[in-house]
Amino acid sequence: MAGYKLPHHKHMSMNELKSFLNPKDIYLEQGDSKLLVGDYVYKYQTIGHKERFNVPIISSVSGTVVDIKDGYIKIKNDLLEKTEKEIINRDVSKIKKEEFLDIIEKAGIIGMGGAGFPTHMKYKTDKNIELLIVNAVECEPYITADYSIMNEKCNELLEGINNIIRINKINNAILAIKKTNVEVIKKFKEIIDKYPKIELRIVRDIYPMGWERTLIKEVTKKEYDILPIELGIVVNNISTIFAINNALKHDIPLVERIITITGENVKNPGNVMVKIGTSVNEILKFMGGIHDDSVLISGGPMMGVEINKTDYIKPQMNCILVLPKPKEENIINCLRCGKCVSACPANLAPVLIKECSNKEELIKLQVNKCISCGLCSYICPSRIDLRNIVNEKKEVIK
Amino acid sequence: MKAPLLRSKNTTPRMMLNVVIALIPIIVFSTYKNGYIPYKNGYITNMFYPLIFILISTLATFTFETIYQILFTKKSLKEIVCNSYAFMPGLFLGLILPINTPISILLVGCFASSIIAKMLFGGFGQNIFNPALVGRLIIISCYAMVITNASGYLNKYEVDTISSATPLSNASIKGTINYDDLVTPYGDLSDFFIGTIPGAIGETSALLCLIGLIYLAITKTIKVRIPLYYISTVFIMTFFIGNCELWYSIFAICSGGLMFGATFMATDPVTSPVTKEGQILYGLMLGLLTVIFRYLTPYPEGVLTSILTMNMLVFIVDKIGIKAKMDGKKIILPIMILLGLIILFTVVIHLKYNQVTEGNVDPNYSILNIEANGNEVKYTVTQKGYQSTIKGIITIKDGKVLDYEIKEQGDSFFSKVEERDYTKYLVDNQDKLDSIDTVSGATISSTAVLKMLVNTIDGYKNKNYLNFDGPKEEEKPADFEILETNGNIYKVKQKSFGGDMVLNITIIDNKVSNIELVSYNDTCVSESNKNEYYECPEYLENGYISSLIENNDIDTVSGATISSSALKNAIKNTLEAINEG
Repeated sequence: MAGYKLPHHKHMSMNELKSFLNPKDIYLEQGDSKLLVGDYVYKYQTIGHKERFNVPIISSVSGTVVDIKDGYIKIKNDLLEKTEKEIINRDVSKIKKEEFLDIIEKAGIIGMGGAGFPTHMKYKTDKNIELLIVNAVECEPYITADYSIMNEKCNELLEGINNIIRINKINNAILAIKKTNVEVIKKFKEIIDKYPKIELRIVRDIYPMGWERTLIKEVTKKEYDILPIELGIVVNNISTIFAINNALKHDIPLVERIITITGENVKNPGNVMVKIGTSVNEILKFMGGIHDDSVLISGGPMMGVEINKTDYIKPQMNCILVLPKPKEENIINCLRCGKCVSACPANLAPVLIKECSNKEELIKLQVNKCISCGLCSYICPSRIDLRNIVNEKKEVIK
Repeated sequence: MKAPLLRSKNTTPRMMLNVVIALIPIIVFSTYKNGYIPYKNGYITNMFYPLIFILISTLATFTFETIYQILFTKKSLKEIVCNSYAFMPGLFLGLILPINTPISILLVGCFASSIIAKMLFGGFGQNIFNPALVGRLIIISCYAMVITNASGYLNKYEVDTISSATPLSNASIKGTINYDDLVTPYGDLSDFFIGTIPGAIGETSALLCLIGLIYLAITKTIKVRIPLYYISTVFIMTFFIGNCELWYSIFAICSGGLMFGATFMATDPVTSPVTKEGQILYGLMLGLLTVIFRYLTPYPEGVLTSILTMNMLVFIVDKIGIKAKMDGKKIILPIMILLGLIILFTVVIHLKYNQVTEGNVDPNYSILNIEANGNEVKYTVTQKGYQSTIKGIITIKDGKVLDYEIKEQGDSFFSKVEERDYTKYLVDNQDKLDSIDTVSGATISSTAVLKMLVNTIDGYKNKNYLNFDGPKEEEKPADFEILETNGNIYKVKQKSFGGDMVLNITIIDNKVSNIELVSYNDTCVSESNKNEYYECPEYLENGYISSLIENNDIDTVSGATISSSALKNAIKNTLEAINEG
C-alpha cells in the first residue's frame, strides 16, 4: 500500500507529561441538556446527549452553570471535584459483554484518535470478533499524545487490552507501534510476556499508517469493504483503551485526556493531561503562551482542522498544533510528476481526478474512496492543493 | 478544509534544479570531448564551442517562449521566468544534436521545441510530445543532408581518427554481432561506457547518465521505473539477439543515446505516465520499440522515435495503469502481452540477424584487390560467367559507381554484351539495378556482369575497403588434369577457349593411338563472317585429330586457334604426366 514517510517533528513535545486539571471554566456541548444558568453540576454527571450517535455529555468538574449560548454550556469550576457517587473498584473479571457495552456507552467513550466514533458501537456486533488491533501508530507528525500515555501507563494499557479481549472473547490482540518509537517498544517488550494473547507488532514509519484500512492491511494483509468487522476485526486507539479500562475498573467516564500542545509557535510544547471542556486559550496560557501570527490546528498538520482560541477541548482532540501562518505558495502548473499517484494510500490518482470533470469518469476513478489524508497536497511539488480539488470532485458525484 | 500545513520540500523549482545539476557533468564532458580534444589536436580553434552551442540553444528557447508569452498570454515577466521553465527544452536540445548542426538550423529546432511542441499545446505541463525531441526530429528530418555533409555526428577530430559513422549506423551497416566490427573501431567497451565515441553532443557518456540517473532517483526527481524498465528491456533483448554475449548488450545500451534518452527524455514528467503501473508498461514498451526500430527499420537511432511514439500513447497507458492500480490483477494481461511481444521480437530479430551474418555471400564472386585512394575506391573483382570467370574493374567514389570495365572474360557470346555497351548501361542505371534488363542471347554472361557490380556495391556499402587484407592471388583453376585412368585410356580435362574440354586419350607405347572428344564448350569464329559462330570441334574433327595422331604435331587451326592448341596441349600434358609417373 502506498504512503509516504513524513518528517516527524515529534521531539519538541516528547518531554515529561504535565497536567492541568483545574481550569477556571469548562465548556460543554449543549446537546439535549435541560440545564439552566445557575444549576449545580457534579463531576462525572451526565448533563445531556449529543445529537450524533447519542453520545453522553459528561461534566469533568463540579461547579455552576454560568452561561448557555451558541449551543455551549459554560460551567464555572468550584475546584471541589464533588461527585454524586463514590469512586468504586469493580471486579473486572466478572463483567459480561452486555455490561461492558453498557459501561462504555454510559462513560461516553469514543474513538480518541481523532474520528470520535462511539466505541461501544464497534463491539456491538453479531459477528465473532477474532482480533483486536490496538492502534498506537500515531502517524501524523508533531502528535505525541499516544506516545505519552504509553510511556506513562504501559502496565495499565496491557491490562486494559487483556480485559477487553477476555470480556469480548476475542482470540488475540495486536498492539501496533511505529518502529521509530524505540523507547516505548522497549518498555512493552519487557512486560508483554505476561499477556500471551497480546502481540506487539512494529509497523513501518509511513503516513497514514494509523488509518484503519492501512493498518489492517499492514498487520493482516487483508482488505475490507466498508468496516473492519467484516474481517472480524475491531480497531481501537491506545488512548481509548486507557479510557475503557478506567470505565471498567472505576466507572470513571471519559472526562480527561492527554493532549499534545506543540508546534513552532508554542513557547513550551509538551503533553498535558487536561479536562474535557477546558478552553484552548487557557491551556495555551498554561503552556507558556504562543507567538503572534500563529495558526491553531486541532489534530495534526496533515488532516487537522483550523480552530481558534475560543474553542475548547473535545474527547477526540489529540493535539493542538500552533504553527506560523503559512506563506502564500507559488502555484505552478501540474507537471504530471505522478508523485500524488504513488503517494495516495487509497490507490487513487489525484492528478487524473483533477483533470477530470465528467461524473462517470470520476466514478470510475473512485473519487469517493478519498480519505482526505492530504498526502497529495503535501507531496505536490507544484503546490497544488489536490486534497481540496479532490474533495470538490467528491461533491460532483454526490 | 485548508491544505495541509506541512508541505514537501521537493518543489517543482527544486526538481528542475536537480535535473540541471544532473546535466552539468554531461555538459562539461561534452565540452571536453567535442571541444577540448579537437582543440588540443588542432582541429578547431574554439575549445568552448560545444558549451556555446548548448548556451545558444538554451537562450534561444527561453527567448522564443518569453516573446510568445508576452505576445499571447497576459502573464507577468516574473511568472514566465519562474513558472514556465522556458530554457529546459533548449538545454536538452543542445545536448541531443550533432555537433555539426549549423547554428541557423539549431535556431529552427529551438523554435520548433518551444513554440510548436510546447506553447501551441498550452505551455508548461500541457504538451503531449517531449519538446526537445520534437526539435531534434524536425532538424534531423528536414536538414539531414546539411548535417551529414558537415560530417554528421562526428566531431572534426573523430572524423580524422575514427572516420566511420556512429556506432549504431556502423552496426546497422555491418549487420554482424562481432566485437571487432562493432566495438574495436571505437576503442573498447570502456570508451562506450565513458563516452569517448561518436554521437550527439551530450548523449555519449553512459557513465555520466548513470550518475545522473542515480542522483535524480535519490532526490526523487524522476519516475525512476521508466529508465529501469527501459534499459533492462533493451539489455535483455539484445543479450539474446546477440547470442548471449554480454559485451553486445553493454554495447547496445551504451550506444545511440539510450542511457541519456532513458534518463532525461523518457522521464520528462509532462510527457510520461503518472501511474506506477503505467510507468512499468511505458518502460517495457519503450525498450521493445527501440529494439524494433534499431533492428527492423533503416533508422538505427531508435531512442528518439520510440519516445515520441510512446508520448502519443501515454493517455492509454495511464488508463490501463489506473485500472491496474485499483485492481492489481488488471496489470497481468498487458504485462503478459508485452512480454510475449518482447520474446517474439527477440526471436525474430535473432533469427534474422544470424541469417544475415551467415549467408548472403555469393560463392561465384570474389574480390582480387581493393585500392582506396581518398574517397575513390577501385575494386578488382571476378564473377563466374557462362564458361569462364569474368574479371572486372569497378571504381566507386562517394557511393557512386564512376567506372566499370571488363578486363578478362572467356564467354562465347560476350561480344553481344560488349556490343550493347552493357557496363556503361549499368553504370548509368546504377540506382535501379534490381530492375535492370539482361542482354538477350548472352543472358548468363550479362547477368554475371550485373551481379559482379551489385556484389561490389554491396561490399562498398559495408565498407569492406576499410578492412581489406591485401590483394589476393587469382585462383586459377588447373589448366590440365587427369580425371580417370582406365588401362591405356586417360580421361583428361584441358582448359580451352570456352572452358574445359574433356577428352579420352588412348596412349599405347608412348604414342597417341586415339582421341575422343567427350565434352566441350568451345565455339569458333568463321573466317569469312566474324559474327558467325559454329561448333568448332566439328571443324577440328575434320581431319585434324587424325593428322594430330599421325604426326604428333600440327599447325593450329585458324578460327579455332585456342581450341586447337588446347587439344595439342592436352596430348602433350598427358604424355608428360605418364612419363613423370
